[in-house]
Amino acid sequence: MLELLDITKVYKGGKRAVDGLTLRLGPGLLGLLGPNGAGKSSLLRIAATVTRPTSGRVRFDGADAIARPGELRRALGYLPQDFGVYPNLSAVEFLAYLAAVKGLSARSARARIDELLELVNLTHAARRPLGGYSGGMLRRVGIAQTLLADPRVVIVDEPTAGLDPEERVRFRNLLSDLAADRLVLLSTHIVSDVESVATRIAVVKGGRIRLDGTPEELLRGVAGHVWEVTVPPEAAAGLQQRLLTTRAVRTPAGVRLRVLATSRPLADAAPAAPDLEDAYVGAVHR
Amino acid sequence: MNALLGLALADFRERARRPAYLLMLISAIGLGLLAVPPTGAHWSVLVIGGFRGRYTSDYVGMVTALTSALWLTLVGFYLVRDAVTRDERTGVGQLLAASPLRTPVYLAGKLLSNVMVLGSMVVVLAATALVLLLLRGESRTVDPIALALPFALVALPMLVCTAALAMLFETTPVLRGGLGNVLWFFVWMIGAIGGQSPHAPFGGLGLRPVTLPAGASQDVGNDVGLGLMYVDEPLRTFDWPGLRLDAGFLGGRLALTAVAIAVALLPALWFHRFDRPARAGRAAAGPEPRTDYKGLPRTEPRRGGTGPRLLAGELRILVRGAPLWWWLGAGALALGGLAAPPGAVLALVWIWPVLLWSRLGTQPAASGADAILAAYPAPRGRVVAEWCAGALLAAAIGAGAAARMAFAGDLPGLAAWTAGAAFIPALALALGALTGAPRVFQAVYTILWYLLINDTSALDFMGALRDHGRLTGPSPALWAVAAAAGVATALARTAWRETRR
Repeated sequence: MLELLDITKVYKGGKRAVDGLTLRLGPGLLGLLGPNGAGKSSLLRIAATVTRPTSGRVRFDGADAIARPGELRRALGYLPQDFGVYPNLSAVEFLAYLAAVKGLSARSARARIDELLELVNLTHAARRPLGGYSGGMLRRVGIAQTLLADPRVVIVDEPTAGLDPEERVRFRNLLSDLAADRLVLLSTHIVSDVESVATRIAVVKGGRIRLDGTPEELLRGVAGHVWEVTVPPEAAAGLQQRLLTTRAVRTPAGVRLRVLATSRPLADAAPAAPDLEDAYVGAVHR
Repeated sequence: MNALLGLALADFRERARRPAYLLMLISAIGLGLLAVPPTGAHWSVLVIGGFRGRYTSDYVGMVTALTSALWLTLVGFYLVRDAVTRDERTGVGQLLAASPLRTPVYLAGKLLSNVMVLGSMVVVLAATALVLLLLRGESRTVDPIALALPFALVALPMLVCTAALAMLFETTPVLRGGLGNVLWFFVWMIGAIGGQSPHAPFGGLGLRPVTLPAGASQDVGNDVGLGLMYVDEPLRTFDWPGLRLDAGFLGGRLALTAVAIAVALLPALWFHRFDRPARAGRAAAGPEPRTDYKGLPRTEPRRGGTGPRLLAGELRILVRGAPLWWWLGAGALALGGLAAPPGAVLALVWIWPVLLWSRLGTQPAASGADAILAAYPAPRGRVVAEWCAGALLAAAIGAGAAARMAFAGDLPGLAAWTAGAAFIPALALALGALTGAPRVFQAVYTILWYLLINDTSALDFMGALRDHGRLTGPSPALWAVAAAAGVATALARTAWRETRR
């Protein structure tokens, strides 16, 4: 469906945000994980036709989406990390405008806008100017516009920023439904955003894919390498510097460290069941 | 003092690292070339009773300093008047508001930054003056003090004044927006004309030391004109004796600078210090109602004709947010067009929406919606719809005048009206698309409109000027072509952005 082939993006000043990266994507949810500055947003902007790559190809259904982005744009729902709205328009008016830009008929636009506003829990505020919305409400307007034209490709960049816990759960359910027969590309640095819904996870660092596979494959990659040990608080800082620590939790008995190591790192360390955060940290610090 | 200098320096660095700053410096060189033309040139910015001074260090310094005092005050205002707005837009203001920085120090820092930006243009102008002094070759002596002194005493106080007024406008509620941009042109014009008077307070623009050649007043008159003047024959030259400093002149310049600083600090009494409510609407009160997730929308999206809805959307974006008094004024003007003959009324009608038109081409970036729209199809269609919305606004407000012309069978007038309704939004769209800011259109259109109502028939883009009922301006076809060029410019800019995305 969507292919990103040997993509490189070099910004002015020589900053190489994406470095010869290739992804072939079909239906399902790909969670793109990576630390800040890893190149996730640049990659998503390229996939969404917002930014041209310095080199490489983007193909949508086999056609060149860099030279002729129109087809992909009509099939795309894109939610950028930061975006603004027209503050004097209401949510209904803003979405109606965007539906017209997408080429939706008046009748289907009206019906879908009502349904989408209910979906993102904004029906009660639908006629209020967007300038009075909170950050989380604006985020939900952004999610609604993403789904206006029932896109085949959904690209969302840090979509849960600003959402409260309940809305996050609702959003994950939504993504899960979407991914059944569409391509969903989701970028985040919060592992819990993708661990329950992703069919595939790619870890990006320095503009390159460091790890790519199903969640099960990623977990298998660190199986047997995760250890837990409780140490006195005064020793914790030193150990965290020495060992690759994925978590540190203060308990009455001391600080419980979760450590990645190929062999038992300390005599009293116990093996632990790996989770995706371990796989992520392992990939980033490999 | 450290906070003030730190703030000013950071603000200046932020501005100086933008590409527009380089353009500003290059334009300063252009201003220098205008001020010290070649010997055979048919223009002059300073005519002293039919003479100009021989190009010595004194005269070249004085004429370029006066040029900057006159023109940089107009343009400079628009260049520096976003010091506070930028802090608001970027959120830096919130950080500063939560710091121990006192409001007068903040304002003084911003003033200093404004002065540094304008001052750097003056430095470039002074360097240009030196080069031109050597190039023109009318004097082999370079006196750096004589060259620089007019910049310090004539140009700099005027630029401090401009920087201070930019601060005042930016921090005063009514003047903060586009209305202030329009108003500045008239403030500047009054200052530029009044400041040339020998009785102007604080020495005015600084023309007082410019004296006529000895014994020349009898045959050439007493005129000392500052502006941009066409001369039939290259001006005769005389040896200008240089800037004679006296206590009155020096005291005036110092007093002008002191008053300017006070004007910049005055808004400390009412400055909001970034404690401002959301831009529109009211924040939601109380907890939100919750609904259960019931799955994806069931309605199938279907494709259909979108032109009218796209136009309606653009029209909403353009006019929504205009206050009630604006709508009342617009209604009165539209009706007034029915009652009074076209001409001056049409000119009045078509200055009213200047702030709304100035939004054209700038709204997606100004609101941040461009982050979403960048991945949407039909960028060219949006540009055309935006222009149509601007033209519809012009047509709606000018409807009374058009109806009157239609009833009277005034077809040439109607043609000019149509071309004007097309041209104005096209100009706004082109300038908005090119510069990304509404200020340029606000300034350019105000100047154009002012020249028009002052009977400059060559610039009559709406058919307002008539001689015994006949239109005196260029053919409406010409303005229609200009309108098409404006839309084409905006489309080209969009296409260029697409290739550079």
